[in-house]
Amino acid sequence: MFKKIPAFFLMALAALPILAFSSSFLFFLEVQGIAGWSSAAKKAVFYSMDQMEAMQKPSLGFDYVQRLSGAKGDWAVLAVQARLAVNAEGEKTLEPQLYNAYLKFKTRSVDIWIGHNRPKFGLSSYLDNHAQLLQPLSMNGFGFDRDWGIGLEHDFAGGNAGFSLTTGSGMPLLFKGNFLLAGRYSKGVLDQDNYTVGLSALFGKVLDVMGYHLLAEAPVQLALAGIDITWRRDNLEHRIEFMAGDRDKYGAFLLFWRTGLSLLEEGRLKIEAQPVFLIASQKTRIQFSVGATYLASADWTLRAMVTYDQEKKDSRIVFQVYYYKGIRF
Amino acid sequence: MYRIPILRMRGDRLPLNSVRVPRFFLIFLIISIIAAPLLAAVGCELNDPDRDVKRLFPESTGYKTLYVSVAQKGGEELLRRIEERLGDKFKGLFETADVPYTVYQIFKGKETIGYIHGVNQKGQYGGVQVVLALDLEGNIKAFYFQKLTNQYAKQLRDPEFGRQFVGLNLKDFEDYDVATGRAKPGSRAAAIKNPAPEAESDFRAALRATKKNLILCDEFLLGNKYLK
Repeated sequence: MFKKIPAFFLMALAALPILAFSSSFLFFLEVQGIAGWSSAAKKAVFYSMDQMEAMQKPSLGFDYVQRLSGAKGDWAVLAVQARLAVNAEGEKTLEPQLYNAYLKFKTRSVDIWIGHNRPKFGLSSYLDNHAQLLQPLSMNGFGFDRDWGIGLEHDFAGGNAGFSLTTGSGMPLLFKGNFLLAGRYSKGVLDQDNYTVGLSALFGKVLDVMGYHLLAEAPVQLALAGIDITWRRDNLEHRIEFMAGDRDKYGAFLLFWRTGLSLLEEGRLKIEAQPVFLIASQKTRIQFSVGATYLASADWTLRAMVTYDQEKKDSRIVFQVYYYKGIRF
Repeated sequence: MYRIPILRMRGDRLPLNSVRVPRFFLIFLIISIIAAPLLAAVGCELNDPDRDVKRLFPESTGYKTLYVSVAQKGGEELLRRIEERLGDKFKGLFETADVPYTVYQIFKGKETIGYIHGVNQKGQYGGVQVVLALDLEGNIKAFYFQKLTNQYAKQLRDPEFGRQFVGLNLKDFEDYDVATGRAKPGSRAAAIKNPAPEAESDFRAALRATKKNLILCDEFLLGNKYLK
């Protein structure tokens, strides 16, 4: 028995460095300032897309990730990401915004999440656009950046597959006969293979929402199929997404392309161009945006975007100062 | 005072539901946040830990994700020691004292059988990520690039290249000079061959990242087993 004590003592001592100074969570503070000029409004604006949209506005927020583990390892992760944004037009208001709010359970074969997370459809199911000025198709009424519900996914050697069943209400949790079923199968792990190709489909009755604003009481039918491709080589990156289907009994056709070039040491400067072509509700819409991102330090990022929206006949120039920093407790 | 709308309908001039927030509360919140110790945002996590852990440790039954930073473990003094051991200064976006490193502690049942740790490193085109799987003695079980966008990535990602690192530990990299890219002739680090001469800077980035990774693991996990 006594022979076992030194061995146990040595094992405990060896484990001490990692146990004593590690933590099982990350907590990040996020602050951003947004200001720009809109040619249609003929005045200064303090949002990147629209005051009613959730992203981007001057805001103070946090990003919290908590690993839940037992003696045999992790069994779940809790993620909460929220902002308090300023609506600067008209009566000044503060808008609480909840982005990630989910609990993801790990099982031997699949991960299952419940809460507010990304629906499993297209580019926006894996593209982290939380801080960006340029936005994917999900911010144009075709899918949702985040939605309430459940999801299931499985990573395999060369890709990923999964589906989600959500409320089809986006940022707010609303029940008006609405739902959204989405699924995606992908080949290639972007950060490992430098490419990923995904096939997606969704079907549901979704609410017409913009941020936290409900635009119509009755849900509309939405059925889409799409393909998304991301490809990297050296300092170039291309993201392409194509969707086709029906929205509210009308045919819909969407084409998205974002191309980026990283420059300077450590890729600190990234220049991007993003044309978007949409046919929906028997209208054709073209948007063209160019953006620049400069990583001033590990915590500070500066962004600028010039965008033209043919339907709104609006040209906007928008600047963003973005701060993201972890806090230790 | 500010008003907080919870949900607004189209055409409504006023929020359906609102909460008054005193300005002093916001000021207090901001001051509290500024006063707290801060961490940098850049870290290196596995793309898919479930898949990667099973591939690197087939016998594993689970893993625990832990976050640790130089600032948390020993602050400036530790940073100086790590730089001295590395033979180079920490610099740029990826090398600050407050970067939260993600360590995966690998289990077989309740027993720890190894670790996986990845680091960011300045490469030819932005950052590269070098991941090491280690046994409990700090010997490399597996080496691979996670992020690497160089057009010669295929050669550097070739398992043959990674196999050159298997069995090495920090002792083998002690004489590797990260500034010049030279290793002591005859040493095991000097025997590592670059499969893509056109990608020399990313090859050197891989060796610097490996040495840095091993030093951090020695400091964080192994109780400075290799510290002279």
